[in-house]
Amino acid sequence: MSKTSEPILEIRDLKVSITDKPAIQIIKGIDLMIRAGEVHTIMGPNGSGKSTLASTIAGSPVYTVDSGEIRYKGCDITHAKADERARDGVFLSFQYPTVIPGVTMVNFMREALKARRGAEVPAREFLGELRETLAQLKMGEEFARRYVNDGFSGGEKKRAEILQMGLLKPDLAILDETDSGLDVDALRTVAEGVNALRRPEMGILLITHYERILNYIHPDFVHILVAGRIVRSGDASLAQEIEAEGYDPILKALGLLEGAAAS
Amino acid sequence: MVDAASTTATTGSGAYAEAQVSADALGRGEPAWLVRSREEAARAFAATPMPTPALRPWKYTELSGLDIESFAPDAAFAPLVIASVPTGGFAGSIAGALDDAAQAGAVEAAFGSVVQGTEGKFVAANAARWSGGVFVHALRGGVFATPVTVDVRAGGGAIFPRMLVIAEANSEVTIIVRNRSTAAPLLVAGVVEIVAAEGARVRLLLDGDWGAATDEFTTVRSRVGRNADVQVASLAIGGHMQKQHIEALIEGEGANSLIRGIALGDGDQHFDFVTLQDHMGAKSTSDVEIKSALAGASRSVYYGVTRVETTAKGAAANQQNRNLLLSDHAKADSDPVLEILTSDVIRCGHGATVGPVDGEALFYLQSRGLDRRSALKLLVAGFFASVLGDAAFAALADDMQERVERKLAVAAL
Ligand SMILES: Nc1ncnc2c1ncn2[C@@H]1O[C@H](COP(=O)(O)OP(=O)(O)OP(=O)(O)O)[C@@H](O)[C@H]1O
Ligand SMILES: [Mg+2]
Repeated sequence: MSKTSEPILEIRDLKVSITDKPAIQIIKGIDLMIRAGEVHTIMGPNGSGKSTLASTIAGSPVYTVDSGEIRYKGCDITHAKADERARDGVFLSFQYPTVIPGVTMVNFMREALKARRGAEVPAREFLGELRETLAQLKMGEEFARRYVNDGFSGGEKKRAEILQMGLLKPDLAILDETDSGLDVDALRTVAEGVNALRRPEMGILLITHYERILNYIHPDFVHILVAGRIVRSGDASLAQEIEAEGYDPILKALGLLEGAAAS
Repeated sequence: MVDAASTTATTGSGAYAEAQVSADALGRGEPAWLVRSREEAARAFAATPMPTPALRPWKYTELSGLDIESFAPDAAFAPLVIASVPTGGFAGSIAGALDDAAQAGAVEAAFGSVVQGTEGKFVAANAARWSGGVFVHALRGGVFATPVTVDVRAGGGAIFPRMLVIAEANSEVTIIVRNRSTAAPLLVAGVVEIVAAEGARVRLLLDGDWGAATDEFTTVRSRVGRNADVQVASLAIGGHMQKQHIEALIEGEGANSLIRGIALGDGDQHFDFVTLQDHMGAKSTSDVEIKSALAGASRSVYYGVTRVETTAKGAAANQQNRNLLLSDHAKADSDPVLEILTSDVIRCGHGATVGPVDGEALFYLQSRGLDRRSALKLLVAGFFASVLGDAAFAALADDMQERVERKLAVAAL
C-alpha cells in the first residue's frame, strides 16, 4: 500500500446524531482517510461511537449526518441510500447481525449477489461460489439452508458475515467487532478468510477491542475513538499499548477520567 | 358497490323471492326436499337483515353500501371439477349426484346438516340460489390419490358456490378450489360443508385470486369426527373483499382441526377471516395460524374463537394471527378469543400481532445491496414462510410464492 494509492474512503469533519433523538450527537467531528490496500483499526471504550460510525458509513437510517462529508471512491455518498452504497462495494460486518426468520441464507445471499453484480447470477455459478466460500470459512453447507442468523451462535453469526463478504467482494469492508465472540481457532479461520479476500484496491476498517486479531490482519493505522472523536492515531504499536495499559492513560491525558487533571 | 344491471325477468329482488326460487328449482327438476330447502332459505333471506357491525364477526366490515338483491344471479354458473375418483366414490356436480342412485341418498342426508340454510343473510342467499354445487364423496377407506380440483371462473353478477364433502371413515381427500373472476362487479356467497367421519383426512385449499371488483362472503364449516383430521388453508390474494368464516365443530375424541390463512393486500383490498374451533371431543386438538401482509390502503380483520366445551377434556388448541403492515395506510384488526369451559386442558395458546416491518432487518438486507422493494419482498416471503411451508398449502406452494412475488413487484409499499 503506497501513500499515493487512491483514497477509498474519506471522512471530513463528520458529525452524526440519532435520527429519532436529534439532540443526541454521538459522532462529534471525525476525519479519516483510508486508501486502497490499507487496513485501519478503530479501538475505543464501549459507547464511544464506533458502531455508530460504522453504521453511518453503511447508510443506516437510524443515524443522521448533521455536518461533514463521507466520500467513497471519490464520490460524495453522505446522503446515498444504504443499498446504493452496498451495490457500489461498501460492506458492513455487523457487530450484532440481525435475525431474519423465514428467509434462508441461500435465498438472501443469492439476492444480494444479484444486486451487487446488477445481473442474475446463474444458479450453478452461485452455488459453486457459495460452496467454495463456505469451505474456506470451515462452515457446513447446512448453514446456507438455515434462516438468516436464526439460532446461530455468536461465533457462527460472525462467520456468516464474512461468508457474505466473501461472496460480495466489497471494495470497502467495515468489520465491526468481527473478532468478538470467536474462539481461538475460529478467529484464525475468519481472519484468514478476510485476508484471502484482500485485494490491492480494497480498504478495510476494522473495529476491535482486542489486539489479538491484529496478529492476523496487520493494521497500517490504529485510531482511538473516545466520546465521538478520534483522539489519537498511530501504528500497530498503539494497539499494543492499549492492550497493555487500557484507555486510562489516554483518558487521563484528555482530562476525561474522573478525578484526573487535564494535561 | 356497483349495481349490476337489472335487465332480465329473474334479476333484482325477484330472483331471491321464494316464488322465483321455487319455480327455478322445479324448472331444474330438483327433488322435493331440495326445493323445500331452497324455499325455506328464501324465506329466511327475506326475513334476515344484513349483518351490521353490531354483530361481532362483522364489526370491521362495512356492508351498508351492499345490496345483495341488486346482483343478478348467474344461473349458469358451474365450476369445472377435475378428479380421479376411487371406486365407489364421487367428485362432480351435486345435480349429477342426485341423478346417481348410489349418491342421491348421501347428498340428501348430509346437505344443509352442517350449515343450516337459515342461519345468516349470505348463507340464506346461497341456500336459496346456489348453482353448480359440487359433491365430493370418499367411501370408507377410500383414498383420492390426487387432489380434486374445482375451477371457479366467474363473470359479473352474483354466484353462489356450494360444496358438500363427505369423507367416510379412514378415507382421504384433498380439494383445491381455484377462485377466479373477471374485472366485472361480482358478488360471491359461498358455502362449504365438510363431514369427516372417524379417522378421515380432508384437506381443503381455497385459492382466492378473484378479479378486482369481486366481493366474497364464504362460510366453510366442518364436522370433525373421532380421530379425523380436517385442514383448511386459504390464500387471499385477489378480489376487493374476501370475508371467510372458517369453522370446525371438533366433535370426536382425538379429532384435529387445522386452519391456515395467508392474505396479501394492496390498494383498497379488505380481507376478513373469522375462525371457530369448537372443541367438544376429548383430547381433540386445533391449530389456527393466519398471516396478513398489507400494502397500500389494504386492510385485514381477524376474529377467531377457540371454544373448549366441558366435554373436551384434555383438549389442546393454538390460535395465532400475525399482521405485517407494509405501508402507513394499511390497517389490521385482530381479536383472538378463548372460551374455555373445562379446567382440564393440555394447552390453549393464542396470540395476535400487528406491526410494521422490522427496520433493523430491512437495513440489514439493504446493507447487502437489496433495494427497498426487493428487501421487503424477501421479508414478506420470510413472514409467510411458516404458513406457506405448511403441508396444508403444499399443493399450491410454488405457484403461490410466485404470485406473492408478482403482486409485491407492483404493490404500494
Ligand atoms: N439508536 C440509538 N438510540 C439511543 N442511543 C444510541 C443509539 N445508537 C447509539 N446510541 C448511543 O450512542 C453511543 C455510542 O454507541 P455505539 O454503539 O456507537 O458504541 P460503540 O463504540 O460501538 O460501543 P461498543 O464497544 O460497546 O460496541 C452509546 O452511548 C449508545 O448508547
Ligand atoms: Mg459497537
